[in-house]
Amino acid sequence: MKKLTFKLFYAALVSVLFTVFGSAASAQPSRPNIVFILADDLGFTDTAPYGSEINTPTISTLAAKGLRFSNYHTAGSCAPSRAMLLTGVDSHRAGVPNIPEMLPPEQTKYPHYRGVLGRNVVTIATLLQDQGYHTYIAGKWHLGMTPDLLPSARGFERSFIMADSGADNWEQKPYLPIYEQANWFADGKRTTLPDEFYSSRFLIDKTIEFIDSNADDGEPFFAYVPFQAVHLPVQAPQEFIDRYMDTYDGGWDELRRQRYHRAVELGLVPKNIAMVDMQTTADWDKLTPKQKKYQAKRMAVYAAMVEAMDFHIGRLIAHLKDIGKYENTIFVFTSDNGAEPSGPADPDTALTRFALARQGYENDYQTLGLKGSFNSIGPSFASAAASPLSYYKFYSGEGGMRVPLIIAGEALQSQSRMTSAFSFATDIAPTILEFAGVEAPQPRFGALRYAGRKIEPIVGRSLVPLITGETARVYGEDEPIGYELGGNSALFQGDYKIVLNRGPVGDGKWYLYNIVDDPGETRDLSRNEPERFQAMLGAYIRYTEENGVLPVPKDFNAQQQVALNGLRERAGPAILIGILLLLIVVPFALYARTRHRLK
Amino acid sequence: MKNVLRNLLWVLTGLIALNFLVTGLRWAVAPSGAAETFNMSLFNGAALSSQIGDIGAFFIGMGLFVLLGMVTKKREWFFAGAILVFAAALFRTLAWLFHGASLMMQFIVPEIVIGTLLLVAAKKLTADHSQRPE
Repeated sequence: MKKLTFKLFYAALVSVLFTVFGSAASAQPSRPNIVFILADDLGFTDTAPYGSEINTPTISTLAAKGLRFSNYHTAGSCAPSRAMLLTGVDSHRAGVPNIPEMLPPEQTKYPHYRGVLGRNVVTIATLLQDQGYHTYIAGKWHLGMTPDLLPSARGFERSFIMADSGADNWEQKPYLPIYEQANWFADGKRTTLPDEFYSSRFLIDKTIEFIDSNADDGEPFFAYVPFQAVHLPVQAPQEFIDRYMDTYDGGWDELRRQRYHRAVELGLVPKNIAMVDMQTTADWDKLTPKQKKYQAKRMAVYAAMVEAMDFHIGRLIAHLKDIGKYENTIFVFTSDNGAEPSGPADPDTALTRFALARQGYENDYQTLGLKGSFNSIGPSFASAAASPLSYYKFYSGEGGMRVPLIIAGEALQSQSRMTSAFSFATDIAPTILEFAGVEAPQPRFGALRYAGRKIEPIVGRSLVPLITGETARVYGEDEPIGYELGGNSALFQGDYKIVLNRGPVGDGKWYLYNIVDDPGETRDLSRNEPERFQAMLGAYIRYTEENGVLPVPKDFNAQQQVALNGLRERAGPAILIGILLLLIVVPFALYARTRHRLK
Repeated sequence: MKNVLRNLLWVLTGLIALNFLVTGLRWAVAPSGAAETFNMSLFNGAALSSQIGDIGAFFIGMGLFVLLGMVTKKREWFFAGAILVFAAALFRTLAWLFHGASLMMQFIVPEIVIGTLLLVAAKKLTADHSQRPE
């Protein structure tokens, strides 16, 4: 009996060992490395394969080695996009319906409106790490700063991250007065930046260092590289700036037209589409020659920052080729939202200079974009960066939500192709999981759990069938995809979109567009197709109910809310210290007074 | 003239107490900014507990000692404050001599000055001498 038991045990052990090691050994060669590159605030036509005059040879090479998406959408602001990209879950369900800096107190009292990645979602980094992937991140995180929310607690084996909405690109310095300091963390611990720092170069150096640290163990890696480029402050090395000093002398209207024509030539948008002129675009012809020269340099620095990012991505690819890992690597390149319009229309005012000086910045023409300089492109050039689309970052117009997406790799079936299939930020996570051969968590006994915790299901679709050519679209004609951020709202269904943009740029009304025929959102169809319009409005209401979307306060102004929250954040401790100090000192003073009177 | 000097000493001692209290409270309320003032970065876990607990307690204690000295007019409270602040200057010097720390004269000099002021206050503002300015 004992012998039989032993034999049975031996047989079971052998089969388990064979299953574990056998399957691992056979699976290894087919599991690709994945490099997920996320640009920050990069507009729809800011790279060469999307119609830009900016020199981006590396991104062009990636486009030639993969599939370009001309109808890919993300959120209008960074943290909600990042939450969706890393989890495949709607931003409201993931706990990041808006950036934390912009949430009004009326909303932050709700647990899913804290602006940090909830514990009810699992990142693809966790899922990949649990299946043997090495997982790395070097760049902007912006999904929470406490130890339990940092990448080291969310599935990343190695991390070097900046936790804020942005920071200086040349040194460890906050870019807005709402931050006391630039919050950088290495492997979950606060850290400082080296003296020789430029963000794009440093983040690629770190990524290479992480990849090399485990290069020989045969396990694949997932490297997430969320660049600071081209977020504020717009800064770049001088040698890159020099290449664009004469490029933008024609102004923003000319640039918007140029990019429109190029986008048409490339087939990104249909021929003869119309474009809106944003009300925030200034009249170039009314500028003085000196003002034109300054504005042209603002954009030159921006272009330089894009090219510098491209250059350093090129270094990463060259390194992967050197160590023999390029052939088995899949690249995903995209942006977190559309081009950033923030920044003064006229930077040469005493108030602007005073405000910058308070932050330790200047914006002189000669040094624009270099260390100690604060640069932005403002709403006029931002509209050109989003050409031929309307609106820009923060808004739910196409210019805020439609951004480049390239999925590339030597081994992919799609080479140098483009798709106009609708896709959304939540699709990236399931796509990466399918590339890695990792199954998304499945419900058991009616509940979806991971590592003992109840989690939200992935709602995105894998884009792999588009890459393999199995299908021309991943969403059906009637499938609605809802979206909301700070009251700016949209719902996509087939080729159509209903959209509402709040002030100060939008009018707070709903419109209906066919974004395939009219990506510039110029012809409102709500009166021509009232049934479709009403049906889509109904679908949007259902989306808000299903995802816990809260209304914004009536007078909500996003930029003012950021300033208010910043003031509260910065002045709050001082007020508290003052109150506590009074509580300590007053009893002493009363005691001394009583003593004095008694005498 | 003596009264003027005594008034001045009383005000200075009060400001020293307030400064200590504010520094201590900053460690409790906004430790990252407080750490930056001392050229430190914030630690994590147990080290952070010690960092906030020990340094915060040091400064709150110092502020309360000086306030108690001013209110009760007992010199022992000023002595306690002076001993702590002189000890801080001494340990900074030892850290420089034996442990490779930077010589932080911008901290050591004020500490010696404050310690000396507290000793003077112990002599001039306590019950054995003329009382707090009327």
